[in-house]
Amino acid sequence: MKIITLPKENLTEFIGYLHAFGEIHAPTKRGDKSVVFAPVSDLSEIELNYTRTILPLKKYFFKPVDVMFNFYADKGYEAPTEEADKKYVIFGVHPCDIHGLKILDLVSNGRYVDTYYFAGRNKAAIIGLDCIPDDLCFCRSIGTDFVDAGFDLFLSDIDNSYLVRVGTSLGDDMVKAADTLFHEVNKEDREAYKRKSIERRKSFRTEIQLQDLPEIIDLEYENEVWHEVGEKCLSCGTCSMVCPTCYCYAVFDELNLDASSGQRKRRWDSCLFKDYALVAGGHNFRAERSSRVKNRFFHKQRGFVTQYGRPSCVGCGRCKAYCPAGIDIVEIVNKLRSQTRV
Amino acid sequence: MSKPKVGIYGLTGCAGDQLVILNCEDELLNIVGALDIKSFSMAVSESDDDCLLDIVFVEGTVVQPRDEEMLQNLRERAKLLIAIGTCAVWGGLPAMKNEFSQEEIKKKVYGPAGDIFKTTAPQPLSSFVKVDLSISGCPIEKEQLLQAVASLLHGDLPRLPGYAVCTECKMSEYTCLLVEKGQLCLGPITVAGCKARCPGYGQPCIGCRGPVEEANVSSEIEVLKEKGFTWVDIQNRLRTFVASIDPLQIESV
Repeated sequence: MKIITLPKENLTEFIGYLHAFGEIHAPTKRGDKSVVFAPVSDLSEIELNYTRTILPLKKYFFKPVDVMFNFYADKGYEAPTEEADKKYVIFGVHPCDIHGLKILDLVSNGRYVDTYYFAGRNKAAIIGLDCIPDDLCFCRSIGTDFVDAGFDLFLSDIDNSYLVRVGTSLGDDMVKAADTLFHEVNKEDREAYKRKSIERRKSFRTEIQLQDLPEIIDLEYENEVWHEVGEKCLSCGTCSMVCPTCYCYAVFDELNLDASSGQRKRRWDSCLFKDYALVAGGHNFRAERSSRVKNRFFHKQRGFVTQYGRPSCVGCGRCKAYCPAGIDIVEIVNKLRSQTRV
Repeated sequence: MSKPKVGIYGLTGCAGDQLVILNCEDELLNIVGALDIKSFSMAVSESDDDCLLDIVFVEGTVVQPRDEEMLQNLRERAKLLIAIGTCAVWGGLPAMKNEFSQEEIKKKVYGPAGDIFKTTAPQPLSSFVKVDLSISGCPIEKEQLLQAVASLLHGDLPRLPGYAVCTECKMSEYTCLLVEKGQLCLGPITVAGCKARCPGYGQPCIGCRGPVEEANVSSEIEVLKEKGFTWVDIQNRLRTFVASIDPLQIESV
């Protein structure tokens, strides 16, 4: 992998070069504390030292509500008109969110390819940025605190410069477009990177033991913890909305007033919603809230492991950070591990 | 196909939901093109208040005997009765007074003039008649109304959100007023459809659309208490639009 450095004072200029590669989106402030990915024109609008955005990157490729096609009783259906060739450069993406995208790529590219997802995904360049965790981050335990692929460029802070890893030929084009801004890695940079790497590793304070977790949650299927969490859960859907890897959606039609044309849409769904497992005939496979909460954990930490060989959780901490009831996956896992079921 | 015969009526209420229909300015011509509106006292001077109807939209709350009579009459005349607005669906603001004595509160508000009319405890339409579809909101959302009309024209009932305001709030990526600002927000237990308009303007959800299905009110109360709100604050907010949910009862469960 090509590795170079970008002095921090050159970042403003480099961002300027990126406009040629697409509309630049980056973490920006919303309100007093929140951060969201939004369009930016220059570095001054970018929140470089953020911890997490409210929504992960799925919002770009798997939109909260999306039009799949327009339909007409007489003409059949047609794809919605959109900015077909619009390109994006998403700057400042943390390793956990890149891992989140890699999981969505995997799931969307199964037997039935999600062309809606890839239509946007294939037009977006990803520029990663490393980060310092807070108490809610448990990515290190999951193995998502670092990323080897899935980005076009990745910037790691080494004090006065960024160490830049070039992940794709598109990333290389970006570097070449701004050739004079980059330098070769020298001995000092190497030492700084290694020192930072150790410092960063030490800064993770929250852990989750991942090994044998699928077995533990299988064994503790009837644990009282699920009922306790079910009592607290508001079924508000927040955890699913903010999760980088929750990919469920509901499909519905919206009719026009002529009652013979309309739009087929899809919107984010959540397995915490009461009607999620409701089927024809009125039977609900998960009518109890506790069974819905349990299902969400099982899917992330058990079902996904069976199917894809890894959990679909990336340890970003969003579900805990935004849950109004303060439901904490790390706490649940610790309880499941320590409690003896009667 | 002949156009469905439609009536739009208001019981006791502010008429805000009828106003939403009138405010569908870009779609009004399509609406009147698709529906045969027989009565809409806010907009049409001539009305037929005796004919049979395919669909009747009713807003407001039953707060006096004549509201109930009118509602029963509408139910008999219409194939489909649709409650529009939180008053019609849940009792809304008028039902706030239900914990007081009707006579006492009438005297307080109207004095001796109150003797000339009768009042009853305000209740939603479903306490008296079969309601085929409920579109809540204070006022209703224009898009939901138009979707309902389009679906009905097609012979279906519309699909309305069964999830909470939080879901739409997160979809719009608004700052969480409950978690981040510690405000008394009812987003987790209020039914969506408003696209979290108030949180989008930095105002907490006051629950004007009524509760989401299987709302976990007791957990919401616990969350709010932990944030330091008093029982009175919480109770007042919960009862503003949906007095029919008694938080006292829920807490004792």
